[in-house]
Amino acid sequence: MTGTAAHPARGPGDRLTGLFWRRPKLLTALLIAPPLLWLGVVYVGSLVALLIQSFYSIDRFSGIVVKEFTLRTYAELLIPSNFDVIVRTVTMAAAVTLASVVVAFPVAFFAARHAKGRWKAVFYLGIMLPLWSSYLVKVYAWKLILAKEGIVTWAAEGIGAGNLLNAVLALPVIGGNSLSTSYIGTFLVFLYVWLPYMILPMQASLERVPTSMLEASADLGAGGWRTFRSVILPLALPGVIAGSIFTFSLTLGDYIIPQIIGSSRFFIGQTVYSLQGTAGNIPLAAAFAVVPIAIMLVYLTVARKMGAFDAL
Amino acid sequence: MTPAVEFQSVSRHFGTVKAVDRVDLAIAEGAFFAMLGPSGSGKTTCLRLISGFEMPSAGTVRIFGEDMGAVPPNRRHVNTVFQDYALFPHMSVRDNVGYGLMVRGVDRRARRAKAEEMLALVKLDGFGDRKPAQLSGGQRQRVALARALVNEPRVLLLDEPLGALDLKLREAMQDELKSLQQRLGITFVFVTHDQGEALSMADRVAVFNEGRVAQVGTPAEIYERPATRFVADFVGSSNVLPPEITAAVGGPRAWASLRPEAIRIASEGRLRGIVTGARYLGAGTRIEVSAGALPRTPGYLPQDEGGIAVLVPAGRAVPAVGSEVALDWDEGALHLMEGA
Repeated sequence: MTGTAAHPARGPGDRLTGLFWRRPKLLTALLIAPPLLWLGVVYVGSLVALLIQSFYSIDRFSGIVVKEFTLRTYAELLIPSNFDVIVRTVTMAAAVTLASVVVAFPVAFFAARHAKGRWKAVFYLGIMLPLWSSYLVKVYAWKLILAKEGIVTWAAEGIGAGNLLNAVLALPVIGGNSLSTSYIGTFLVFLYVWLPYMILPMQASLERVPTSMLEASADLGAGGWRTFRSVILPLALPGVIAGSIFTFSLTLGDYIIPQIIGSSRFFIGQTVYSLQGTAGNIPLAAAFAVVPIAIMLVYLTVARKMGAFDAL
Repeated sequence: MTPAVEFQSVSRHFGTVKAVDRVDLAIAEGAFFAMLGPSGSGKTTCLRLISGFEMPSAGTVRIFGEDMGAVPPNRRHVNTVFQDYALFPHMSVRDNVGYGLMVRGVDRRARRAKAEEMLALVKLDGFGDRKPAQLSGGQRQRVALARALVNEPRVLLLDEPLGALDLKLREAMQDELKSLQQRLGITFVFVTHDQGEALSMADRVAVFNEGRVAQVGTPAEIYERPATRFVADFVGSSNVLPPEITAAVGGPRAWASLRPEAIRIASEGRLRGIVTGARYLGAGTRIEVSAGALPRTPGYLPQDEGGIAVLVPAGRAVPAVGSEVALDWDEGALHLMEGA
């Protein structure tokens, strides 16, 4: 008999393949090292730096950062004017998130369960297309749409709903001079800008619910509403939570939309921006920046406790 | 007596595909009824027409005499064991079983008691707190069964109920399903592509082919007296004899079926041929007899017509491949069929 049981290595490529075959973990390590360095050092590192800064304070007279550990800066967050900013931002983020869930669900459900082939492509294009254009362009476009001379007012008057619009704008707190200078306006633009981030994960999770699951529910006597509550929603919940993480945290951190559209009252993002810039109060800016992080951690913990990730 | 399920000239078309084509069917109350056929033969669509997940394009589906035309699935007194079981992954086994009761507004305590009772029925006592993901395939199947039976359906539908189980478990479940059905007296309708399963469990079988019912009968009728070539071919491993061979062995010029186990190897026989292959099956050996290079002589298997399968029971001498044998069978073993 001639011949061997194995081919000889044909070059460095073969030898490298052999090395990875003998040590599979080596390949994994090589692949994840660069992103790990990036995320670990640059991202987590700066986050830690931020956290440390928030425990410093600022000398009121000299304006110099005092590098001593103190909780005084955090206490400053509780001053009414600062605390209002937090409440305002969190309320807005919660409202935007809830509205996104309601608006996104039918779209995601249709895309996941009914759209096929060409319609699916139309769906993805429709959702993604707004993401391809500049965020600023969209926000300014909305400013025009919502302005007093804009198309919404014009249309409302055209169909005889001008009084209704005025009544809505006359509401305390959320109302204002026009839609573009009220919280309603800010809310609408946030909702529009972040909606794709809710639809996409929702659609992905709805797509993973097998049709037989819905049929089983109907088979066992459940009507549409019961199936929605007991089967579809719990199974789609991981997607809803994933989407809400996006809409909630993006709203918490945004400082451009409320600056362009809405009343002139500050949101967290704007406060951080002005504190680290003109005011030069880095510790307070850092403390403000920690607030959304803390809120998200609490939110995720509660979601986990409620079993939102059980179906994963 | 009103049949439990009745199809009156029911069709279901998907575009130009006739998944179910003018099917008439009556399933008696208390029957263990099998819908047997290859994939795409329309059997599953028929099951879904009973459960209500498909609407007939034409014809009427009746359950206990009632026209189901306008009755949605959730209002039909019928429950299904799904092929993939479709257990709710976010609910415990107990909540899965109690789901139908919850929907009907049964209170928690009664639900729990009933669910436990059902779990005991399918021999899963003590599994109530687990999640479906923590169960084996066979256990999940039992949960699916319990979840359907807890609603006391008048007809239980089973879609390839044993398809995902391994052989040993499948045989055990076959016996269990059969005895469960006899104990409960509920009409069972099950879909399968496994002819062994259909013959061993059901007391009536409908054989589907291309959207139509090819034959309905008891397992013995289906197996011993197949109505068409398709049935003979699909159910069991009968020899389907073309008219030429039937004529060559003394019958009329018609299609006929001849079961391998009805054929004996003899010294003198109705037909002679060459053994061209043998497959050991444990309980016997299945040999293939064909004309081989034999001359075209009366009494020999004709050329170009394929072979005849013969089952040699274990213990009998198996002729060697290449040897010439004579085949014989009893007069009644040759069963003539319709042209198709």
